[in-house]
Parts: sequence; structure tokens; C-alpha cells
Amino acid sequence: MFRLQSSKVLAVDMTGDAVKAKNGSMVAYDGQMAFKTLTGGGEGIRGMVTRRLTGEQMTLMEVKGHGTCFFADRASEINLVSLGGEKLYVESSNLLAADGGLRTGTTFTGLRGASQGNGLFTTTIEGHGQAAIMSDGPAVLLRVSPQYPLTVDPGAYVAHQGNLRQSFQSGVTFRTFLGEGGGEAFQIRFEGDGVVYVQPSERNTIAGDV
Amino acid sequence: MSTYGTPGAAPRVLDPMTLPSDDNVDAYTFCVELKGTQWFMQKGKMIAYYGTVEFNGIGHGRLDRLVRKAFHSPLHASDWVVAEGSGKMLLADRAFDVNSYDLDDGNLTIRSGNLLAFQPSLSLKQSIVPGFLTLIGTGKFVAASNGPVVFMEPPIRVDPQALVGWADCPSPCHHYDHGYLTGVLGGLRAMTGLGGVSGEEHQFEFVGAGTVLLQSSEALMTGQAAGAPPQQPGVPGGGGPGGSGPGAAGPRLPGQLGDLQRRFGL
Repeated sequence: MFRLQSSKVLAVDMTGDAVKAKNGSMVAYDGQMAFKTLTGGGEGIRGMVTRRLTGEQMTLMEVKGHGTCFFADRASEINLVSLGGEKLYVESSNLLAADGGLRTGTTFTGLRGASQGNGLFTTTIEGHGQAAIMSDGPAVLLRVSPQYPLTVDPGAYVAHQGNLRQSFQSGVTFRTFLGEGGGEAFQIRFEGDGVVYVQPSERNTIAGDV
Repeated sequence: MSTYGTPGAAPRVLDPMTLPSDDNVDAYTFCVELKGTQWFMQKGKMIAYYGTVEFNGIGHGRLDRLVRKAFHSPLHASDWVVAEGSGKMLLADRAFDVNSYDLDDGNLTIRSGNLLAFQPSLSLKQSIVPGFLTLIGTGKFVAASNGPVVFMEPPIRVDPQALVGWADCPSPCHHYDHGYLTGVLGGLRAMTGLGGVSGEEHQFEFVGAGTVLLQSSEALMTGQAAGAPPQQPGVPGGGGPGGSGPGAAGPRLPGQLGDLQRRFGL
């Protein structure tokens, strides 16, 4: 059972079940816990090779036991996501913890990843259970519906959920090269039905200065 | 137990209908509604938008009239863009606190890195204090600060790093705690830090009527390099006579070795 002890500390109550969490993110626990590094995020040899090839590396550990375990990472804000069979797309650097029963994997994202310097791939989480994702500042959840497509700055994108198509928009014109660009040269447009998590801060991206 | 603790509580999902209009979404995010209108904003502070919004640099030809009316700081022209279109746009800056302020035929001076966006009904000018911008007129602007903003009334002395801006009162002056720094020993102490320097010997002093805006931390927003004011005599920071250059060492304190050297003609 995931709950937020504060906006920056995740508490997980466990009764013998397992949780996957970012390596080294445990800050405290009571009860009996066993920590085990999951080689390749528990995705088997194939997942390990995929992650190595795609650069979407993450080191997860498996926490198992009875009691309460607390997780936090660099005072990032934590957002809980409940999954009922759908898929959550999240950058591996933003994933803090997930229920042991959730399947993780990698997927191709296209040019969005390239523009934010995170590589061309992202992590997916699928199944029934809860996941905790991190953001710099509390994330804002924005609904995308067919009549309201959403455009997001690649540096502020954290995660998304639902049946969304993403396309890459470039506002680069000859003015960008004259140093008079609009400051938002790269954008991702989401269309379809779903929710996008946006953080009130921008990662340093190659597009940040154009 | 905090409000976060409720397990299973669905997080609030916003859409264009539920997003506020020209108001804060939360402490760190501000939503601007554009209805065919224009806003000036600092480059790269948009995090997401619904609808169609176009971002153009200040030098864009079509914006000439607008810029002539509302933007008078060529130094900062490359940091600012004009957003125009229709829809709702979210602004945020490094997860800092964001707040909007209304000016009613007033004036306000703010550190250039802290100003996020403003309505074109306001006019932006460069303050004669280097690194600060002055807004004059009527309208709304959005500013970021590290920690919530505190409003104070002069007379007051403030820490340089905590100062966000000031409204209606005359420009500040430097204040040094001389009693602590006089004599050769004091000078040595100031230079070397030996014997204990509190780090609070220098403040900005405000007098007169008005409001001073402070942030509750001493983390500075990194303002973008904005070049230098025109090199003219009498322009502070301009490098000409009557204004100390930006590269000049800190102010000379009484009792500093420079005085001795001068006395001995070295």
C-alpha cells in the first residue's frame, strides 16, 4: 500500500509483498526488510540487453518484508499513480517505486526523447497496482481529450498515461539562427485521450536556449 | 496526518475548463489565458499550453508597434518573447514560487531574473540599478521567488540576496556596518575572513514611502547575462567616468590596505 508521508517522502506498508524501488532511495524502515538489487530491473536478460542498448538504464532494487519502508530521493516531489491495467510512460530517472507486480519495460518515444537529452526511449509500467513518480516541484496533471490537444515543453514533461499520440513540433525558423527565436523551439503535442504529468521546472535540454 | 496521506484519493486532473484564468494553478505554476491577446514572457518559461499559441522573439517585425509601446530594454530583448494566440498557457520557473501582482498606474522595480511575464499594458524599462527592471503602468505581471514573497515597509535594510524588488519608493543605497570594519585590523578581517566575518556587513537600505519585496531565502535566480548599459559618462555600470565598471573590485572600505598603500605613495 503506497501513501505519501509528506509530499516528498513515500511510505509503503508491506505485509510480505515486494516493491521495486530506485536503488538507494530507502531513507528509513521499521519492521523486517530485505533489500536486493534487481539486475536489469527484473526484466530478465532480454530487458537488460534492451536497456543497455537503448540507454534507458535504471537500477532498481527489490524490497520485501513486513512493516513500513520510507523512500525519498533528492527532496523531489512524489506523485502517486494508480494503475488499473493501463500503461504509464515515464522517464526512468523519474521513477521512484512501483508495486512488485507491475511489469516494466522500454519503449520507443521518437524525437521527443532526443530533444530532452534523455535518449530515444522511455520506460513503461503496466499492470495493476501503484507507482510513485518524482518531479521537480509538484506535478500538474493535464487532461488531453480529442477536442483539447495539449502542447508540452520537453523539459517539463514527466510522464503520461492513456491512449495518446505524441508528435514533435519544431518552431525553428531562420529567426532562431539570428538569435531571435521564440524560446520554445521544440514542443511535444499530445492528442487523443489521457493525462500528462508536467513539472513546474525545466530540465536542461539542448532546446532550452533556442 | 497530512492531506497527502489519503490513500486512493484521485489526484486533481485539470483541463482547459477547470484551469484558472490568469491565476495560480498551485504555488509553483501560473496559468495565463490568451484570447487573441499578447503577453510578454521570459524565454523558455512555458511548460505547457492548450489551444494555439505562438512565440515570437522581440525582434519579430509584426510586433514592432507593441514593442515600441511596452518594451524599452534592448539589453534584455534576447531574453524575452511575445506569446500570442488563444488558449491557456502554463508558466513555471525551476519549481520556484510564482505569484502575480497587479499594478494600478504604479511602478515597480524587480530583479531581472525574477520577472517571468507581464501584460503589454505595462511598460518595461531598465532600472538605473544594474540587473533590475522597472515596470510602469497598469496591468498584471508574474514574478518568481525562492520561497514566498514577504512585503516590508521602509525604512528597512535588507540583505542583497533576499531582495526581489521594490515599489513606489526611491532606489536603495548601499549600507556598510562601518563600526565593525574600521581600522587596519577590521580591514584585514574583511579581506581575509580571519577573526570572524558575519557575512552580513553589507545591506541595501531603503528609505521613503513604498513597499519592499523580499524572498524568504538567499538563493538568487540566475539572471541571464544581459550585456552592459551604454558606455556613457554618468550611467551606472556603464564603465564611463561617474559609474564604476562591472569588473571593478568591491567598494574600498576604510582601513583597507589600499589606503595604506596610497598613504605611502605606493
